[in-house]
Amino acid sequence: MTPARPPLAPAEREALRSAARWYARLSSGQDAQAERQRWRHWHDADPLHRQAWQQVEAVQQMVEGVPGSIAASALQHSRASRRRVLRQLLVLAGVGTLGWSGWDSEWGRVLRATHRTGTGEQRALVLADGSRLLLDSRSALDVAFDGERRLLRLRSGRVLVQTANDALGRPFLVHSPQGQVRALGTRFTVQTEAQFCEVAVLEKAVEVRPADSDRVQRVEAGQQLRFDRVRLGEPWLSDASVASWRSGSLIAIQRPLGELLDELSRYRHGWLRCDPSIAGLKISGAFPLDDSDRALAALESGFGLRIVRRTDYWVSVLPAQG
Amino acid sequence: MSADDLALRSATHDLYATHSGWLRGWLRKRLDCGSDAADLVQDTFVRVIKARQALEIRQPRQYLSTVAKGLVIDLFRRRALEQSYLEALAALPEDAYPSQETQAIVLETLMEIDRMLDSLGDKVRQTFILAQFEGLSYPKVAERLGISLRTVNNHMAKAMEHCCLIRMGLL
Repeated sequence: MTPARPPLAPAEREALRSAARWYARLSSGQDAQAERQRWRHWHDADPLHRQAWQQVEAVQQMVEGVPGSIAASALQHSRASRRRVLRQLLVLAGVGTLGWSGWDSEWGRVLRATHRTGTGEQRALVLADGSRLLLDSRSALDVAFDGERRLLRLRSGRVLVQTANDALGRPFLVHSPQGQVRALGTRFTVQTEAQFCEVAVLEKAVEVRPADSDRVQRVEAGQQLRFDRVRLGEPWLSDASVASWRSGSLIAIQRPLGELLDELSRYRHGWLRCDPSIAGLKISGAFPLDDSDRALAALESGFGLRIVRRTDYWVSVLPAQG
Repeated sequence: MSADDLALRSATHDLYATHSGWLRGWLRKRLDCGSDAADLVQDTFVRVIKARQALEIRQPRQYLSTVAKGLVIDLFRRRALEQSYLEALAALPEDAYPSQETQAIVLETLMEIDRMLDSLGDKVRQTFILAQFEGLSYPKVAERLGISLRTVNNHMAKAMEHCCLIRMGLL
């Protein structure tokens, strides 16, 4: 830290400005010989000029102390990566003036690195390494990166992960209460429920290891797998509907009504149930997630079901009356 | 040791005894890493000691967390830069790899340069980096950034003046 100094006198300030201009002209390499002579003249004319030029030389020395092309690339990328993570706080000077509100909203979120979504909310996140996450409705996740590994702890709900290459070669892991998912350069979703955890792989592959087992199962692109703390299911082929939630709609292909309503419940408050006699009814279609009332209306009209609302928070789906 | 020094020392000591605990907790919440938090608590108090300000602090919590906040920002800037530097190094053949010491010195200098350039506008900063570090000629820089030669010249002067002022602690 350079200690604060009293401000420059106007003549000193002016000398510094000229020195900087001379630096720019000399660096252009234009007409070098003649410029150099003119510069010498300026330099020798005034002690203030010499003083100012020393400052320019000090900066020059610093610049020359680093290997050029590597420095250029590091400086460019560091700004880009900071921008990715800390969009609004890029400007160093801005930090002081932003004050507490800025700190709490942006930095606080990034640094505390615990993310939580409310009902019906989805949130996109970009992590320090450039990996991208989409956190689904009613989910909670901690980001815990260190020198050894890039770790996410999925506390509840569901997340879509797109990993970035890591310069430090750290593994990318997602922990859920049921076990660990290790990314092998990839895009995948992890969803944790009370009884099980489900993984769906969209690109490349992941490795799944239940918390209380030594077995490891590889899951390839286009596959899904369920596991709990002990048991590891067999991978099965996903259908086109997998991870459709990320685009704000729920796509069902021959999906039992009971499951579909469970899925919709994620995005709305209150209780959503169906009559057990129709829980197995197979439903196909696309349902909007940001407006689950519309999704219910679509079920009502398209599949001959009856929606009964005791209150907005207590909704039952019943067979149509004969 | 003068009476003033003694008073300062005891005030610093009290400050540490009273506030290091919650400051560590405050930092841990933000850093998600216990050992980083402990380091930054120490650094925060080192700043206080160096500034010889322990006697004048009216609102210690606010003061300490403001100092700590600056250090957290520095830490994150450093991590971002470190990562970019390592990425840039990774492109080199193995025998061109600098030693650990050289790397540390370069990184330190890069941090300082990064800090100097940070509050410059994008085009000015780019101009300076292309001409100074990539070694492009002014006409090449002009072409790359789509600006006139005259503007390149002005940007270079502006960047240098800015760096000098920051280095002198005037910005």
